[in-house]
Amino acid sequence: MTAVVQPAPVATGQSRYSQLIRPDQVHGSLYTDPTIFAEELQKIWHKTWVFVGHESEVPQPNDYVRKQLATQDVIMTRDRDGEVHLLINRCAHRGLQVCDDASGNSSSFRCPYHGWTYRNTGELLGYPYNKGYGGKNKLELGMGKVPRVASYQGFVFGSLAADGPSLEEHLGAAAGEIDRLVGLSPEGEVSLDAGWLRHRTRSNWKFLAENETDGYHPQFVHGSIFGVTGSPIGALYSDSSTAVTRNLGNGHSENDLRPEFRNFAEPLRWFGTTPDRVPQYVAAMQESYGDDAERRLIEGAPHVMIFPNLFIAEIQVFNIQPVAVGECVQYATAVQLAGAPEMNKRMVSQSIGSVGPAGMLLADDTEMYERNQRGVQMLDPEWLDVRRGLQRESIDENGFTIGAATDETGMRGFWQHYRTLMEAED
Amino acid sequence: MTDPVVESEFASVSVRLDTDGNSVRLRLEDLRTGRVRHLDALELETIIWLDDGRLTQLLDPSHERWRG
Ligand code: FES
Ligand SMILES: [Fe+2]
Repeated sequence: MTAVVQPAPVATGQSRYSQLIRPDQVHGSLYTDPTIFAEELQKIWHKTWVFVGHESEVPQPNDYVRKQLATQDVIMTRDRDGEVHLLINRCAHRGLQVCDDASGNSSSFRCPYHGWTYRNTGELLGYPYNKGYGGKNKLELGMGKVPRVASYQGFVFGSLAADGPSLEEHLGAAAGEIDRLVGLSPEGEVSLDAGWLRHRTRSNWKFLAENETDGYHPQFVHGSIFGVTGSPIGALYSDSSTAVTRNLGNGHSENDLRPEFRNFAEPLRWFGTTPDRVPQYVAAMQESYGDDAERRLIEGAPHVMIFPNLFIAEIQVFNIQPVAVGECVQYATAVQLAGAPEMNKRMVSQSIGSVGPAGMLLADDTEMYERNQRGVQMLDPEWLDVRRGLQRESIDENGFTIGAATDETGMRGFWQHYRTLMEAED
Repeated sequence: MTDPVVESEFASVSVRLDTDGNSVRLRLEDLRTGRVRHLDALELETIIWLDDGRLTQLLDPSHERWRG
């Protein structure tokens, strides 16, 4: 069923999106209206910085991997000189899909239809039977390219708009959260090369983005995994928790659990383990960071949603990509810390337990996303509520709005930025 | 394990299948200078199809290495 909730009538003098997005409520049609989805592609996904992959997925010169950037099939390549490119997987001749394998190593790509051949930078290097074009090098054509590609700590982002804010401007304070993650590696480097699991999800992408820092649901939705694993994390999401939900600006948000972990002051509690079980890792951290190692090991990894599609959930990374108004894909992989083999093995097995095909965390969330999509197609009530904690928000020492652990502060930040982008003139 | 070597009195090249990349490549090493080149499948196929005249041109010492 793909019913569309009727949009609320637009009052004169007010934009469509200020009608649909209120400080404490958002309209159901935002998740179900295909015309809104089409506009999101234009104004968000084909414009802003979107997370695509990680440099560690193309470690060698001439490596490539196929990735998704919203509706676009892109090839992330590393050229001979080490530079990373995002090519659009389409032949300049008659539009065929050029690469079909998920990954490979090749200095050039040859289209199987008529043999046009491209360098892995996208440049056309030749075509068969060149007399038909008046000789060699006669065509000013090439594969499409994502016009702006930039990376931060190896995380590769693409923007389909030739101009706009820089990646650093877009990331803003969220960059510091990526730094925190990388700072848990004794070598100051992470890789995302453990392989991505692909979960097709029958839900609008925004339900995922909003849920990632929703501290209200874990005790309900994740009761089973908390129970089975004896994880102490569940308790951090309650009204008595000192953890905070922070609006980091630009649509980014985090659940900052550090206040709780600082109280316990137990290294690696965030990871559900103790230093004696990963002695080489702890020694390597002390070697690299001296006295600061202890703080890093106590405070742990970030839980941050970077607008619109990169979710770093402590030990794993999600890449969310939209497909249609009611469908998206979640790609998930385990974080791998350079110089920390003891941790990496555990990160992979924990990730399999949480986001693997039989994992218990993502499956539970996904059940909620899909039910949410079905529920929101019902006609009454028309609005979703996002007011939780609005009356107890405050501003932290860095000027960011914070709420309690279970508050909807992150969602409100998401909608604020969403509205700005959707209302921007082209 | 030592790699197989293709050798004559004029040149000496070791050959190995390299699996470090996202698909297998041929790793060639000029044992006299240590210079290494990787060739991917499409490049190898291309070399097989080079006509002898083109290959002979490439062998001209002034073509690349001793261009002057
Ligand atoms: S469509 Fe690619 S060569 Fe013709
Ligand atoms: Fe969840």
